[in-house]
Amino acid sequence: MTTKGVTGDMDRKENEKPMLILKDIHKFYGNNEVLKGVSLEVRRGELVTFVGPSGCGKTTLLRLIGGFTDISAGDIILDGQRINDLPPNLRDTRICFQNYALFPHMTVAENVGYGLKINKWPKDKTAARVRELLEMVELDTFGDRMIDKLSGGQQQRVAFARALSLEPKVLLLDEPLSNLDANLRLVMREEIRKLQERLHITTVFVTHDQFEAMAISDRLVVMKDGLIEQVGTPIEIYERPANEFIAGFVGYVNFMEGRIESIDETTCNTVVNTEYGRLEITLEQDDVKTGDDVLMVIRPESVSLSLDCGDKSQNVLCGALKSYMYAGSIAKCTVTIGDRTMIIDQYNPRDAQQFQHADRVEVEIPRSVHLLKKK
Amino acid sequence: MKRKLIAFVVAAIFSVLLAGSAMAEEINAYMGTSPDNNAKIAQFIKDKTGITVNQTFQSFGEIEARMKAEAPNFNADMTIGCGSSTGFLAKKSGWTVPYVSPAWKGVPEVFLDPQGNWYNFSNFSFVLVGNKDRLAKAGYAMPTSWKDLLDPKWKGEILMPSPLSSGTANQMRFSFLALYGDDEGWKFLEALDKNIAYYTRSGNAPTDLVGRGEFMLGLTSDENVKKRLDDGYPLIWTIPKEGTGYDGTFALILKGTKKLDACKKIIDLLGTPEFSELMAAIGYVTPRPAPNALYGKTLPKYIKLDLGKASDDKAKNNDIWKQKLRTDFK
Amino acid sequence: MATVELSLKLQASSGSKIKDFLNANLINILAAFLFLLLAFFLLYPIIAVLLKSFRGPSGFTLQYYQNFFSKNYYYQSLYNTLLLGVINTVVCLVIGFCLAYMTTRGPWILRKPLKIISLVPLIAPPYLFALSLIILFGRNGLITKMFDLHWQLYGFGGVVISQTLAFIPLAYMMIENTLMSLNPNLEESAYDMGASEATILRTITIPLLAPGLLKAALLIFVMTIAEFGNAAILGGRTPFLAPDTYTMITGESDFNMGSVLSVVMIAPCILIFFIHNYLLEGKQFTTIGGKPVASEPRKITPLIQVPFMIITTVAAGAIFVCFAVVFAASFYKILGVTHNIVLSNYLDFTSNQAIYNSIRVSFVAAVIGAIIGVLLAYVIVRGKFFGRTFIEMVSLSGFALPGTVLGIGYLLAFSAPPLKLTGGIMILALNCVFRFLAVGVEAGISKLHQIHIEIEEASADLGASFLTTFYKIVLPIMFPAFIAGFIYTFMTAIVSLSAVVFLVSPGFDLAAVKIFDAAVYGEIGIASATTMKLVLIVMICMLILNFISNKTRLGSSMKKSAAV
Repeated sequence: MTTKGVTGDMDRKENEKPMLILKDIHKFYGNNEVLKGVSLEVRRGELVTFVGPSGCGKTTLLRLIGGFTDISAGDIILDGQRINDLPPNLRDTRICFQNYALFPHMTVAENVGYGLKINKWPKDKTAARVRELLEMVELDTFGDRMIDKLSGGQQQRVAFARALSLEPKVLLLDEPLSNLDANLRLVMREEIRKLQERLHITTVFVTHDQFEAMAISDRLVVMKDGLIEQVGTPIEIYERPANEFIAGFVGYVNFMEGRIESIDETTCNTVVNTEYGRLEITLEQDDVKTGDDVLMVIRPESVSLSLDCGDKSQNVLCGALKSYMYAGSIAKCTVTIGDRTMIIDQYNPRDAQQFQHADRVEVEIPRSVHLLKKK
Repeated sequence: MKRKLIAFVVAAIFSVLLAGSAMAEEINAYMGTSPDNNAKIAQFIKDKTGITVNQTFQSFGEIEARMKAEAPNFNADMTIGCGSSTGFLAKKSGWTVPYVSPAWKGVPEVFLDPQGNWYNFSNFSFVLVGNKDRLAKAGYAMPTSWKDLLDPKWKGEILMPSPLSSGTANQMRFSFLALYGDDEGWKFLEALDKNIAYYTRSGNAPTDLVGRGEFMLGLTSDENVKKRLDDGYPLIWTIPKEGTGYDGTFALILKGTKKLDACKKIIDLLGTPEFSELMAAIGYVTPRPAPNALYGKTLPKYIKLDLGKASDDKAKNNDIWKQKLRTDFK
Repeated sequence: MATVELSLKLQASSGSKIKDFLNANLINILAAFLFLLLAFFLLYPIIAVLLKSFRGPSGFTLQYYQNFFSKNYYYQSLYNTLLLGVINTVVCLVIGFCLAYMTTRGPWILRKPLKIISLVPLIAPPYLFALSLIILFGRNGLITKMFDLHWQLYGFGGVVISQTLAFIPLAYMMIENTLMSLNPNLEESAYDMGASEATILRTITIPLLAPGLLKAALLIFVMTIAEFGNAAILGGRTPFLAPDTYTMITGESDFNMGSVLSVVMIAPCILIFFIHNYLLEGKQFTTIGGKPVASEPRKITPLIQVPFMIITTVAAGAIFVCFAVVFAASFYKILGVTHNIVLSNYLDFTSNQAIYNSIRVSFVAAVIGAIIGVLLAYVIVRGKFFGRTFIEMVSLSGFALPGTVLGIGYLLAFSAPPLKLTGGIMILALNCVFRFLAVGVEAGISKLHQIHIEIEEASADLGASFLTTFYKIVLPIMFPAFIAGFIYTFMTAIVSLSAVVFLVSPGFDLAAVKIFDAAVYGEIGIASATTMKLVLIVMICMLILNFISNKTRLGSSMKKSAAV
C-alpha cells in the first residue's frame, strides 16, 4: 500500500494544524435559516460525526463542506486554504451519499476508476489503483460486475472505494449505513472505522443514529436546530452531556431534580438535596456550586437494584417494582419512587426469578453522577 | 369516502358528456359552401322551417370522398352543397332518394334532375383575384386574359386550389381543358404551373391569401369574393375575356335517412325565390332570377362545359395532373 | 400497511366454488377481455388499412404499391417526411433537453416561468405555430414587411420551424420527467470526483437519460410525421406523406392509395419502435433509494450555461411570441387589413359547440383510456398467461402509430354495419383512447414494478378476494399512473388533428378540426379566437384536475403508499 494518507514523517507542527475549519457558518434557504453560526475544527486523521435529529442541519453542513450548497456566511478552510467559492470538482473532499449514487451504467471498476479517468490518470496506473482499491474493500473479483448485480453492502464498499480513489483530504460520509440491514450495519461500521484508521484519513460522518455515532467516532458533534449543542468524545458526550437534550439524545436518562447543599473542596464530596432525601456524590465537574438547582443525570445502567428493602443506607431509595423484563444479558426494570418512575437496566441480571416476583426493591444511586445546572 | 365521492362526480360528468342532446327536429347534413355561407343557409332553413341543420364544413372534394367511404350507410341525411360531379355520381350509384319537388316548378333544366335526384340551388364560377396594394407596388396591371398568367413576372405570385382536394379547382381544370382542348389545355396548365406558388387545399383559400397580400394573384372560387370585399380586403377581381367555368351547388337527399319529411321540406325551401335571393346576395347565380351581389345584372361569360364529362373524367385527369405537375419537385 | 390489513381482515372471506374459480382466474378473464378490446380497436383497424392496400377491385393486388414505388412524387413525399421527422426529432430533443436541464438544474428563479412557457403549447393545436408564422413571416407578414424581407416561408423550412415549435413541449415534458427522476446525487458524485459540468453531461446525465431520450425521440418522430396541420398550411409545394394521405382519402377518395401511403408512413415508425425496444433491452437502470427530488441549483459553468441559455431563450421566446401573436390576431377581424379591435371572433357560436364537443370527447376518452391503461398495466405485470409480452407490445405500440393511419383505419373498419360506429362521439373517443393508451400503460407498469407482489400476496393471505385486493391495494398505488394516463390522453386528444379529422361527422365538429378548417380557409381571426378559448378552457380543466388529484393524493392513496 502506498497511500499518502499515512503521515509517518510529517513534522509535528504540520500535524497539529487542523485539517478542516468551519468558521461561523450560516445558511439560509429563503428566509429559513438552517445553519445559525456553526464553528468547528476537525483534526487530521480524525473521524468526526455530525449527529442530531432530522432537520438539525447536519446534512446541509456536510453538503456545504462538499461544495454542493452555497454558503450564506462564514468560512470553510481546508488544510489552510479557504474553499468557500470552490466548486466540488476543485475541492479536495470526496463524498459518499446515503444512496451510494453509483453510476448504474458502469461496472464496479469503471465506477471506482471514474475519478481517476476524469483526472486523466494514465490507463495502466488507473487499472492498478482500481485493483488496489477493490482489494482494499475486498471486492477484487467483482470489477466487471454491473452495479445492480451487487448486494447493498457491496455497493457500499464500491462507493467507499470510489470516494477514496483520489485520496481526498477529507472524506464525507452521508448516512452511509442507513440503507443496510441491522447486522450488516454493525459489520460495515467496523470496517469503515478500521479502514479510516489505517488510512489515517480525515472523515466527517453524518448519521441520525446516536449509537452508531458513538461507536465509530473520535468525536461527536451533536446538532440541533442549526446549532452545535456539544462537541466531544463519545465518553464526554455520554457521561458529561452539556444539557438535557444531549443527555437524552445519546441514551435513556433518569433525571432527578435537586439543590446542592454542600461541596467538600478536598474530597469533592457533594450533597444534593432531592425530593427523596439527601444523596451523596463525588463531584467531577466545576461548573456548579453550592446552592445551585441541578438535574442529576442518572443512566439506567448506573443504578444498582437489590431485593432487601429495609436498611436505609446512603444513596439508597426504596421503590415499587412495576415491571421486570428479563432478556438474558439484560433486564429492564421500571421502578416508581414516590410519584416518579425510573428506568433501570440490570446487566448480567442475577436473582431474576426473585425479582420477577418482588414488588418492593432498593435502588442505589451511584456516586458518580453528572449534574446539569438548571437554568 | 373521499375517493367514492370523486368517483361519483367523475361518473356523473362522464354520463352527462356521453349523452347526446335531444332537440326538436334536426337533420345532419354535409355542407360544402364556405363556413359563413353554410351558417347562413342553415339559419335560413331554421327560420323558415324550424329544422335545425347540423353540419360540418368540408370542401366539395372532401364531401365526395366522405360519401364514397360511407356509402351506402351515410352519417348524414342530406348533402346541401356538393359539386356536380358528386351529384351525378350519387344519382348513378343510387345513393339518393328521388323526390320531385313541386316548389321547383319553372326552374330551368340545368338546375334540376327531372327524376328529382339532385337539385342545383346555385351556380358558382371561378374568378381571378388580385391584391390591389401588391399590384400597385409592383406596378403590374390585372391580367385580362388567362394566357397573361403565363408571363414569368408572376412567378411564385399566383395561387390556385388543388384539384386533388377542391371541387372548384376541378372545375377550373376542366374549364381550361374545354376552352383550349385537351392537348393545349394540359400545356396551358403545365405552363401555368411554373408560376403557381402552390396549390391550396380549399377553393376559397386563394381569395383570402391574396386578400391578405401573401400573394399577388389567385384563381379562386367566386363564392367568397363579395364577402371579402365587404370585409375590407384590398381585393380586385375580374373574369378574363375568355370567360369562366361554372359548377352547381347540389342538394341531395341521402339514402337511409329517417327524416325524409324534413329533407323534403328543405328541398322545397331551396326552390323558393326567397332562397334564390339569399344566395344571389352572396354572389351566386341562382335558379330563380335575383339581383346578383357580385356580378350585378350582367352574368359572367361562360365557357361551354359538359358537367357530366367533367365528373366522369375527374379520376383520369387527377392521374394526368399528378404525372405532369407534381414531378417538378426535385 | 397496518390499517389496510386490518380492514381486509374484517372482510369475511366466504366462497362458493364459482367464486373461487373467478378469483383464481379473474386476472386471466380480465386479460382476455382487454386483449379483445386491443385486438378490436387497435389491431383490427391497422389490419384493415393493410388489407385495403392490397385489395383491388378483383382481389389481391400489388398494383397500388407498384404505383407508389414507380412515381417520383411519392418518393419525394416519403423523403421529405422522413427528413422532416429526423430533423424535427433531433432539434426538439436538443431544445427540450436544454429547457428541461434549465428547469431542473438551473437557477430557481427561471424554473417556473420556463416550465410554464414550455408546457402551455401542449394544450394548443400544433398548427397554431403555422398561423403565427404566417402572420409574422408570411410574404406579407408583419416582420417581413417591416424589414422588407424576401424569403420563402411556404415550404420545407416553414414546416420544420412550425413543427419544431409545436413539439418542443412534448420533448420537454418527457425529458423533464426523466431528468426529475434521475437521482441528483449521481451528478453530484461525478462533480465531486472532479468532473466538470460538460463531462458530467457527457458521461453521466446523457447516458442515464438515454432510455428516456429514446422514448421521447420515438414519440416526437411519430407525432411529427403524422400531425399534418402545419404541413398542410405551410407546406406550399413541398409534399409530405401525412397531408398527401389526407388529400388522398378526403379529396380523391382513393382509399387504396391512401392505405398504401399509410402503410409506408407506419413502416419507419414500427421500425424505430423495434429498434427502441431492442436498444432498451436490459438497460432500464435502477438507482437505489433515490426519491425524485429537485436538484439544488448549482453554478453552471458558462461553457454550458451560455449555449443552453441562448437555446432556451430563443425557444421560449419564440413560443411566447407565437402565442402573443395568435392572442392579438384573435381580436382583429383581419390582422393587417382592418385595424379596429373586435370581439366578434370570440362570439362565434359554432366554435363554442366544437370546443364543448372536444372537451366531451377528450374527457370520455381520458376516463376510459386511464382505466384501460391501469388494467392493462396490471395484467401485463402480474399476469402469468401466454401472450403477455404480446399484449404489452401491442398496448405500447400506440407510441409508434401515426394518428393519420389510425384515423383511416377507424374509417375503414367501423363505417359499415355490423361495426358501424362512425358518426357521433364514441368513435372519436375510442380512437383517442387507443391511440394514447401507451402512456397510461407505461406509467402503470413502472408504478407496479415499484411495489412488491408480496403486498398483494399478504392481502390475499388475509383472505381478501382478488377484487378486494385490487380495489384496496393496487388501485391506490396505481392512482398516479391513472392520473398520468388521464392527463396525457385528455390533453393530446383535445388538440390532436391527425386522426379525428377523418372521423368527425355533421353535427359533431371538434375544436381541432374547426380551427384547422378556419386556418386553411383563411379565417385567421376565428381560428385564433377559437384557439385562445380552447387554451383557456383546457387550462381551467387542468387546474381542476390538478386540484382533484392533489386532494385525493393527500387523502387516502398517498397515506397508503407511504405506509407501504
